[in-house]
Amino acid sequence: MKLSDLLNEKNVIADMSGKDKNEAINELIDLFVDDPKVNDIEKVRKAVFDREKIISTGVGKGFAVPHGKTDAVQEVICAFGRSKEPIDYQALDQRPVHLVFLLVGKENLVSLHIKLLSRISRLMTRDEFRKKLMNANTVKEIIEIFKTEEETYFELL
Amino acid sequence: MGIPTLLLFIGVGMLAGSEGIGGINFNDAGLAQSIGIVSLLFILFSGGLDTNWKESKVVSLPAFTLATVGVLATALLIAVAVMLIFNTSFLWGLLIGSIISSTDAAAVFAVLRIGNISLKGRLKPLLELESGSNDPMAVFLTISTIELLLNPEKTFLSQTLFFVQQIGLGALIGLLGGKAMVFLINRLNFSYEGIYPVFSLSLAIIVYSLTAVTGGSGFLAIYIAGLVLGNSQIIQRRTLLRFFDGLAVLSQIAMFLTLGLLIFPSNLINVWGYGLLLAGILIFVARPIGVFLSLIPFKFKFKELVFVSWVGLRGAVPIVLATFPLIYGIKNSDLIFNLVFFIVITSSLLQGWSLNLTAKLLGLAEPFVPKKKTQIEFSNETQIDTEIFEVIVNENSGMCGKQIVDLDFPKDSRIILIVRNDQNIIPAGNTIIEPGDLLSILMNKQNRDAIHDILALTQ
Repeated sequence: MKLSDLLNEKNVIADMSGKDKNEAINELIDLFVDDPKVNDIEKVRKAVFDREKIISTGVGKGFAVPHGKTDAVQEVICAFGRSKEPIDYQALDQRPVHLVFLLVGKENLVSLHIKLLSRISRLMTRDEFRKKLMNANTVKEIIEIFKTEEETYFELL
Repeated sequence: MGIPTLLLFIGVGMLAGSEGIGGINFNDAGLAQSIGIVSLLFILFSGGLDTNWKESKVVSLPAFTLATVGVLATALLIAVAVMLIFNTSFLWGLLIGSIISSTDAAAVFAVLRIGNISLKGRLKPLLELESGSNDPMAVFLTISTIELLLNPEKTFLSQTLFFVQQIGLGALIGLLGGKAMVFLINRLNFSYEGIYPVFSLSLAIIVYSLTAVTGGSGFLAIYIAGLVLGNSQIIQRRTLLRFFDGLAVLSQIAMFLTLGLLIFPSNLINVWGYGLLLAGILIFVARPIGVFLSLIPFKFKFKELVFVSWVGLRGAVPIVLATFPLIYGIKNSDLIFNLVFFIVITSSLLQGWSLNLTAKLLGLAEPFVPKKKTQIEFSNETQIDTEIFEVIVNENSGMCGKQIVDLDFPKDSRIILIVRNDQNIIPAGNTIIEPGDLLSILMNKQNRDAIHDILALTQ
């Protein structure tokens, strides 16, 4: 399994409407309200915001990776959102965020969760990759960009 | 296959008995009862220790209703059935009803585990909590009914007051006892690790005796003490949990063997007709009504109610309780004992065998996931003052290009793992942080601000 295998047209948003950190995170979490993989959406929300309290996951350079671990999901879930408008995310470098990658893992699958996070980190910290994502026109294109970029990388599971 | 282990060891006991190949003639109901009660104490205490209160809290109200209203309803329904079938007094019927009113969740989960399935949603904590807390209720009902039978001048009212006293004192002493145990275990510094389990064991017994002497329900007290202890921060936690787990299994085996020895299989054959009839009423009428009645206010799905009704497996508690009438010399107590024995075995066989299938048919089963050994075996719940979290290092992070030793991390917090290009790196002082790294950080919560400042540094 690769990170891009987890993305599909249901969990990628090309133009997010959230204007600040809370709205943006909730917008992505709300994609899973009726998802059978999620037992309790409020626990998911709590796990993500609890992690956010330690230190902002807006790690600078315009992207943020809100994440968390909880037993309220049956398997790992993720979502990606892009916003042409700046999101006030209280990022570490104080700059606005345009790209948000949400990852929620299962409490007892720490190893996979860390691998996926590190894969996100590896992709998103590349300037060129972020530029491509910003210039994509459709959801399909965004997913394609992830797939192409990850082609040469190892399977994670 | 999924037959509860209960049947296996009862079978061994029967084989060893006077009518089996062992030829041991054992008919000391008093001794069997003592063994039964002591075993029950350990089983309840261990059950409390293992119960995850965080998970159970949400179902505590329905579970408590099930353990009181549900048990009472079951007992009353059986009482009426017995009264009509045997044409006896209501009280005598109530005695049988009370004895078989409590369920055994340990058996349920043992069977499910064999089938490699787990239960969805709130069912698991609900059933666990119910069966842990309904034994005291059954014990209370049984003893009360016996008292009413022996002392006709006692009234239901006096027994109700007695009930309030039993539950109130039991809960109170259990709670305080549990807190005291936490305090003592954490304070006393034993040089030898093996002392801790023995010490806790003696404390648990003291909690029981103290409650029983003051007129509370010792069974409830010891269960609650276990619950408090198991959900507190204690040193030697793992050692204690393992010890009491083992002790509970040993207690079950001892209890079943003894009960198997005590029964004469030929007597069971004599009661099969009535036994089957009562077992049928219990399984298909009394338990379902008790469950539906108690759980209707709590918005469970219909299929969940059906499942909870079906997992009313009876375990060792009814058989132990059935020795009480023998000892108090209640009229026809032999018949009660044999009937109860027969009903327990029927319920275990029928419901035990069909449990996995029922869960699957109702769509309530999910695959059983054993706790996976992870890279970091450490859970946030057991260590309240520490936290593990992950952080992504971006290009413009002030940490990039620095050696870990130069980050000035607080002494009791660490970067415990770096994942770089899909490779795990064990960090050392001279490891240099690079952009794109994922850091796993173990932090003492007191250092939150200091660490925040290090991570928030940007260039």
